[in-house]
Amino acid sequence: MDRRRFLTVLGATSGGAAALSACGIGPEPTEHLVPYIVPPEEQIPGTATYYATTCRECAAGCGLHAKVREGRVIKLEGNPESPINEGRLCSRGQAALQGLYNPDRVTEPMARGPNGEWQRLTWDEALGRLAAKVKDARGRGIVFVTGLETGSFGDLVDSWMKELGGRRVAYEPFAFEALREGNRLAFGTATVPFYDFANARYIMSFGADFMETWLSPVGYQNGFTRAHSFDGDRDAAMAKFVYVAPRLSLTGMSADEWIAAQPGTEGVLALAMAHVILSERLAPAPPDAARLRDGLATLAPEKVALFIGIDAKEIRRLAREFAGSKGGLAVAGGMAAQYATGAQIVADVNLLNYVAGQIGKTVKFGPNQALEGAGSFKAVTDLATDMGAGKVALLLVHGANPGHSLPAAFSQALGKVGYKVSFSSYLDESAAASDLVLPDLHPLEQWNDSRPRAGIYALQQPVMQPVFPNAMHAGDVLLRVAGRPGTFNDYLQSRWKELHQRFGKGRDFSEFWTDALQHGGLYGEAPSQPVRLGPGALETLAWAIGGNPAEQVTLIVFPSMALHDGRGANKPWLQELPDPVSKITWHGWVEVHPETAAKWQLANGDVLLLKSPHGAVRAPVWITPGVRPDVLAVPTGQGHKAYGRYAKDRSFNAFELLDDKPTAFGGRAFVVPVSVVKTGDHRRLATVEGDAREQGRGIIEALPLAQARGLKPGTHPFEEVEAPAYAEDALKQWAEAQHKQASLGNYAGTQPRWGMAIDLSKCTGCSACVTACYAENNLATVGEELVVRRRQMSWMRIERYYTGGEGKPVGAVVNPMLCQQCGNAPCEPVCPVYAAYHTPDGLNGQVYNRCVGTRYCANNCPYKVRYFNWYNFAEPGGEWESWPDPLNMLLNPDVTVREKGVMEKCTFCVQRIRGAQNRARLEDRGVRDGEITPACAQACPSEAIVFGDLHDKTSLVARLADDPRGYHVHAELNTKPAITYLARVVHRAAAEGGA
Amino acid sequence: MTKRSGRAAAGVAVALFVAGPAAAQDRQATPTYTAPVISDTGKLAGPRQPIFFRHDVHAGQDKIPCLYCHNTVTVSSEPGIPALQTCFGCHQMIAGSTPAHQAEIKKVREAWTAKKPPEWIRIHALPGFVRFPHMRHIKVLGTESCSTCHGDVRTMPQVHQFATLKMGWCINCHVQRQVSRDCTLCHY
Repeated sequence: MDRRRFLTVLGATSGGAAALSACGIGPEPTEHLVPYIVPPEEQIPGTATYYATTCRECAAGCGLHAKVREGRVIKLEGNPESPINEGRLCSRGQAALQGLYNPDRVTEPMARGPNGEWQRLTWDEALGRLAAKVKDARGRGIVFVTGLETGSFGDLVDSWMKELGGRRVAYEPFAFEALREGNRLAFGTATVPFYDFANARYIMSFGADFMETWLSPVGYQNGFTRAHSFDGDRDAAMAKFVYVAPRLSLTGMSADEWIAAQPGTEGVLALAMAHVILSERLAPAPPDAARLRDGLATLAPEKVALFIGIDAKEIRRLAREFAGSKGGLAVAGGMAAQYATGAQIVADVNLLNYVAGQIGKTVKFGPNQALEGAGSFKAVTDLATDMGAGKVALLLVHGANPGHSLPAAFSQALGKVGYKVSFSSYLDESAAASDLVLPDLHPLEQWNDSRPRAGIYALQQPVMQPVFPNAMHAGDVLLRVAGRPGTFNDYLQSRWKELHQRFGKGRDFSEFWTDALQHGGLYGEAPSQPVRLGPGALETLAWAIGGNPAEQVTLIVFPSMALHDGRGANKPWLQELPDPVSKITWHGWVEVHPETAAKWQLANGDVLLLKSPHGAVRAPVWITPGVRPDVLAVPTGQGHKAYGRYAKDRSFNAFELLDDKPTAFGGRAFVVPVSVVKTGDHRRLATVEGDAREQGRGIIEALPLAQARGLKPGTHPFEEVEAPAYAEDALKQWAEAQHKQASLGNYAGTQPRWGMAIDLSKCTGCSACVTACYAENNLATVGEELVVRRRQMSWMRIERYYTGGEGKPVGAVVNPMLCQQCGNAPCEPVCPVYAAYHTPDGLNGQVYNRCVGTRYCANNCPYKVRYFNWYNFAEPGGEWESWPDPLNMLLNPDVTVREKGVMEKCTFCVQRIRGAQNRARLEDRGVRDGEITPACAQACPSEAIVFGDLHDKTSLVARLADDPRGYHVHAELNTKPAITYLARVVHRAAAEGGA
Repeated sequence: MTKRSGRAAAGVAVALFVAGPAAAQDRQATPTYTAPVISDTGKLAGPRQPIFFRHDVHAGQDKIPCLYCHNTVTVSSEPGIPALQTCFGCHQMIAGSTPAHQAEIKKVREAWTAKKPPEWIRIHALPGFVRFPHMRHIKVLGTESCSTCHGDVRTMPQVHQFATLKMGWCINCHVQRQVSRDCTLCHY
């Protein structure tokens, strides 16, 4: 009796058919086919339709392509036509899907009953109640709080508020007030320019985390890699990147040099460099820069070196390198902009660009990022004061959650507000404290537009029917309550008719509108405008230069890459995405330098009580060389008191430590003094890190620039002798036998061998690929407890290793680790059921329906890229359920959802390979190079991953695989991987002789 | 990748023989078929559907090509279940000649009016871990080849499962036609 027959008999005789069916083995229950009444246009069942829209997860405004199957959006990809992100997309953007299908969405209007319980309302009741409250509150203070709205919705709110005599307050916790104020001080214009990373030759970041949350992370990372990647064919040398900040962030990990200046002295460093450039005449500075000469004289490197904590010689070297590159770009932000002196620091860094003659070249005023409408922290604290004084009778909140980011002041003042209305789709802290909740549609379900950058008009269109039909577009709510005719879509189109007048080029409106919808908007380029030193420029030179500041512990609260200000906290993809620096998931941590940890006798996971003058939190320790010894750092994002099942009561809210009073420039200080108490508690960190150091295993190779430039094509310096001489014969015979075995299928034609090249001079570790893999391949999120038990399912992981230390400069290197699709795979021969086997096109196939879960393959895999389903993550209502309804709607129908007891791993997105082969076959042609893009390569903002056929010698991947920088990880094991890594290229640190 | 050689063509003939003589490819040669009057539907093979839709009347007697209703089969992995609009497009005018037919057509019209599509019982279903790209098979075997797997529905008053649709049955054809039988062709 064979295995199958045995199961059949078992099913028939033991009455266990139902039980077996529940495990997915027995007969399927009756399925129904329900036809459409009228088939939707544009959609063919079984094939995807793409709609262009705009991402609303942060202020950048990236263009999206929403992949829709059978009426459901199943994946978000970058819109290649958008000049902002050029077809790339970060983790947060991709995870917008989990906001759309979030199981904790508010599905219908609700109001607080007399006893504080939620009561359901019909829309007529809810709108009636809102209209009555508006009427009632007229003249007694009406305030509408929104997030950053640069388009029609914001204008509609403004006009309605004007009509009612109320006001709108825009609130973004990271609103870049310091950038706007710094530019006003330096140049008299409170705008945020476009930074041309791609054409920079020398990049200096003063705390600006342009790969995480700073302005436009995807676009700027893309530009950065264009300048900073190594290309042997390119004339110009790769740009050098210097990162100045007290903490080594994701952005900092790509730096050739990390300078951990004394916190708060970044501006002085920039000015000292400016002094050197001016006094040594290193660059053709604009004529009015001479005005700065006297002020800068007091900031000569020798006078400030001690204050900054860097040698004067080093400062002079940096200045010479910056000016000498003739393409310097200095950016300030992040931590450097979050001190009380943040605006001054930004202004000083701008002056450095100015004296180096770079304004108008790498820093372009004109195509400004639209942040004027982002509001300021001061406006919100003023609002909180008004609320506390009883001056607000009606508060409407849309797209902002001040209850989380302003936990003390705002939440207390809320009690004094007459009536509170929330348009939130989730019961977050602010919505939970309100009297009426009118759930808005998700941005992927609604019409809207935005103007993320001057010259760009981005459109948002509904990419599917609302998931919860009883939610209503906030724009429609406003129009109805204001008694205006038409829908929000009509309102939007009426505004686009104005654009049609300007940009229509003779086409009629419907043609113009359809065209804009198809492309995701209108993409124009705003001309660059010259700027001159502003009247306040000289004031920004005034720094009180003390000696070395007294030793005290400073705590820095930094924006979380994945969770942002906390808005991502209820999305399991983002919770489970390992932080690119700490590799910690699902909870917050406090970063402590090893020396400090030794002094305080701390170990990883020890819980500290951090007390600032404004609040206290308990945070587990994570020891890292990537932070100054006198600095502690904690991320934002966690510690929600409401918001949903994934966010609530998780870890700590770092905002509780911060001052609720605005700084002089109207922003918020994210740096506070703290005292530290050891609690004696300990927890296991939910980390996915294996080893913090690479330990010389050859996983990540790096080359100094000079050496990389000297490499001759066709040479392979990293090639290892993969087998000892005595084993060569045996290996050859074995390979021949294996080849024969593989050809048993007698397949017609030659087969490709799919392969990948990953350029480590481009990869930054941003982890966009990880989320893309989760989305494309139906990867389960397993939750905090299982991550602690090392049972995460991430097919694609980013390994981060620290370098240096013990006297050498500290840095970090990263590489994406996924199934290497070995030509000689250790996983295959150990599988007793041939579930792991070699496909004729060179993949390590994994047949889920064959797998019986021995886990031999995972044990034998030297790369540890196989993941086992310990639980039934897809079981509805199960203990470890990954996709509670309606999250299951985002599952990719082209990929099997694996069940308990099955091993799984990266397949090079075999569904996309087969899809492309099917398309090519229908068109009677072969698959073209570049036609297949795995999800990771598609999302990558750095374009570090290239996929294709290694047998086709003209393909890009084959050429890259032959690159002299190419190497295989663990080549010494003779696994013959299909993935070639191209060695990282670094500017050798000055201490080692410069590059 | 699935180039047709002389031997592969012979494979078609074998497959067709297995499928039965009625699956002949040449439409002109098909004799005129008259759908029988069914007095006892209980004796018919296959599950009873919410509407007694007779493939033998539509595809057999009236010679409506399969693709008229299942129109995405050439471009998609899914053949497409015709929308109610497709049914109603004809049955707005055609009311049926016998009381039995009229009763069933009335159900279509009522469903259209009520905007409530019939819930057909699925007959040909593959487990979730199998991919079957219809379009590739139609591309190679032609638009008349549906009967290879679905049987000659032109003679089926009520459709029933014709082939086992088990892996061995799939593989048989792939072996005969000498096309890939790599696992990840269908399983991923």
